[in-house]
Amino acid sequence: MGLAAAMLLPLAACGGGSTSTTTKAADNGETAATTAGDSATAGTETAGNTTAANVDTSKFVTITMLVLGNKPSNGRMEAALAAENEIYKEKINAELQLQYIEWTDWQTNYQLTLASGDGSVDLIGTATDWLYAWQMVQKGAFLPLDATMLQTYAPTTYEEVGEDWDLCTKDGSIWFIPEDQYTQWTNHGIYYRGDWATEAGLDTITNFDQLGQYFQYIVDNKEGVIPWDVSGANNTGGLLGGYLGSNLEITTILGVDPAIFTYNNDDPYTVTSPYMDGDTLVEAAKLFKQWSEAGYWREDVLNYTGDSRDQMYAGKSGADQHHTQTYVTTTRPIMDEKQPGSDLQFFYWGEENNNVTRDLKTHGAMAVSASSPNPERALMLYDILRNDETAYRLHNYGIEGTDYIVTDDNKLDHPEGYDASTDALDTNFWYGRMDAYELDQASWYEGRSELFEELDSKAHDYALTKFAFDPTNVQTEIAALTEVYNQYIPSLAYGKVDDPEASVTEFRNALKSAGYETVLAEVQKQLDELKASEG
Amino acid sequence: MMTKTKTETLQLNVHKVTLRTKLSRNRTLILMCLPAIVFFIIFNYIPMPGAYIAFTDFNYNKGIFGSRFVGFKNFEFLFNSGKLWQLTRNTILYNLAFIFLGNALQIIIALMLNSILSKSFRKVSQTLLFLPYFISAVLVGFMVYALFNYDYGFINGLLKNMGKEPISFYSKPGVWPVIIIVANLWQSTGYGSIVYFAALCGIDQSLIEAARIDGANGAQVIRYILLPSLKSTAIILILFSLGGIMKGNFGLFYNIVGTANANLQPMTDIIELYVYRTLINQFNFPYSTAAGLYQSIFGFIIVNIANAVVRKIDPEYALF
Repeated sequence: MGLAAAMLLPLAACGGGSTSTTTKAADNGETAATTAGDSATAGTETAGNTTAANVDTSKFVTITMLVLGNKPSNGRMEAALAAENEIYKEKINAELQLQYIEWTDWQTNYQLTLASGDGSVDLIGTATDWLYAWQMVQKGAFLPLDATMLQTYAPTTYEEVGEDWDLCTKDGSIWFIPEDQYTQWTNHGIYYRGDWATEAGLDTITNFDQLGQYFQYIVDNKEGVIPWDVSGANNTGGLLGGYLGSNLEITTILGVDPAIFTYNNDDPYTVTSPYMDGDTLVEAAKLFKQWSEAGYWREDVLNYTGDSRDQMYAGKSGADQHHTQTYVTTTRPIMDEKQPGSDLQFFYWGEENNNVTRDLKTHGAMAVSASSPNPERALMLYDILRNDETAYRLHNYGIEGTDYIVTDDNKLDHPEGYDASTDALDTNFWYGRMDAYELDQASWYEGRSELFEELDSKAHDYALTKFAFDPTNVQTEIAALTEVYNQYIPSLAYGKVDDPEASVTEFRNALKSAGYETVLAEVQKQLDELKASEG
Repeated sequence: MMTKTKTETLQLNVHKVTLRTKLSRNRTLILMCLPAIVFFIIFNYIPMPGAYIAFTDFNYNKGIFGSRFVGFKNFEFLFNSGKLWQLTRNTILYNLAFIFLGNALQIIIALMLNSILSKSFRKVSQTLLFLPYFISAVLVGFMVYALFNYDYGFINGLLKNMGKEPISFYSKPGVWPVIIIVANLWQSTGYGSIVYFAALCGIDQSLIEAARIDGANGAQVIRYILLPSLKSTAIILILFSLGGIMKGNFGLFYNIVGTANANLQPMTDIIELYVYRTLINQFNFPYSTAAGLYQSIFGFIIVNIANAVVRKIDPEYALF
């Protein structure tokens, strides 16, 4: 009980204070208990069964949530948020506002916003696979949380997440809240046109040979269409990762840069790398050189910056590369509308060798900023947003009747005259969605559940969810490896090399002199430690 | 703080008369300088302590000065990468080409403008030469792509029409220095020629008339009167640009060659692009700051050397 109080006190007392006091005080509970003697502590003295109800919320605060995406300008987000804020105002005397990291240069802007650490953000949308969550923990961007805090300020969420807290714990602290109650598939693959595949004599495409035949058919028969009009400047890895995953029983280890370290699916605690060992990379480089010469993408692919998806919608590209979720919710429905009869299909990596990894429960997660002036209210607000169906729907779907309607068969649809390209709500809450409150959208591809079932039957879980790589000891080597990786991979992936075999050798030598062995040994060492700690 | 101001005021009192008169005499000039002074303070001096990031293990929560000091550890990466020589060489060679070719062309154009007699034609030519300067580097990048790309590029279109094999420019590093230098000159020459043209306009017409009476032809007027009178302008402009010799034109390089095409890097990679890649690919603030700091210090040394050499030759022309 004493410990619990010590944890709570500094939080309650630090409204406007600096966060270094918070962490310092949390480490050193007794002093905090004596120093933080203001009125706010009164409510938490009875720490044992503290609930959010007796947290002092007398001061009205604004909680800022960092989300990714382009800020909508149609006023709908503001309207929905205003309605939603009435709930927060009444329940916890707070309001929510959104800060957008626009897609242009989002990686840089996201990092810069977190790096500024000026207390302007309270809740940070994050993810362990695409938004650098563990790296951010390393860099001190997040406030360390613990069970007591979560029980107090976000009790419903705390109960829900249960065992999955393990996935977000490191060094004794919980660092973020996982989006673990939401099913989605973000495994990558390539979309191709079913109508053209049939013309080419292919029922379905499930491997790279068939994909090559499909591309060749387009080159031979579809004047003015580029089989895959991709921008190598934006998609630097091309089909390389997909090829490796479809030909080897491996999974990439997340959180280690560059993403060349993998484990064999039957032995997750041993690090390997197809980029260094075996012939698959050479095969891939040879294949992509052939494909490049056959004109399956632009000759100047590495300097082209066009949008292959728009080209596909316009019938000018025979393929586009992204994940299942995008296929089901976006590209398939839009292709049905823009290119009727195109019967857009999805060849996902690992389809032929059943090497599909289930989505991480931390593919979306919410962290509290280390410099948040109101971390306790931020958690309370998140708890409501995530678990109050009215707030949840206002936030994610908007105002019923204006932004969305629920059809008779309980699907989400939009009112007459609604145009998704101008009227979208775009609150972009991908950091705590709940299957329980989600509605299927009427526009989604009908084959969705079949596809999901198929994926589910083939997929396996990512085995190293608790692996949070600490790069401190090998920072120089990692920087050098990343530089080498970014220098060679685009050319290999798009066949822009004279001699694939020689280039792979050169790439491997460059990796070695950049310190590959050192990083490999460090990853292995930390995997061994993880294995030992898991018993 | 208080005491400091007091001593300053005391010191001011000593030179009271002269300084006051100076200030009041030049107050319009000082006022005109003010925006520039404020600009440099805000954008160049205030951020300077941030360079300290290069010596830390930067932690977002602890901030720049709270982060752990690691000495020159962050610079190791730069020196170990083996790229430093290539980057420095490219940056300097490109800048030398920009500076010397640029100034030569600017002088030629200024002389040409000067010989145009029709006022309206001169104005039109000036405006047309000026225009590329206002085109954003992003558009220049697209224009270069539109000219040189393999599948649909203008040049390859011409080649194909003439029955010749198209050329894959984007896999030939050797042609890029030429393309980049031409693009840069195309953009900046018109604008740069204005200063020289202004200097030419300032020449006493009686000198030229006297030369004409003595029988000098056009070429001789240029050789013996116009060019010598441009000498000091040219030296000052070149010295100024030498100060930026370690600074690459990021916008131009980034938009023309991008960061994905490693084939071109041996000939096109400059320090700015490298700093950008380190930041974008790794979000490593200390490493990219270290690279930037290396660039600044190296540049600072070069300016000083250049200035010392000039002072040795002719103290009149030295910047400081």
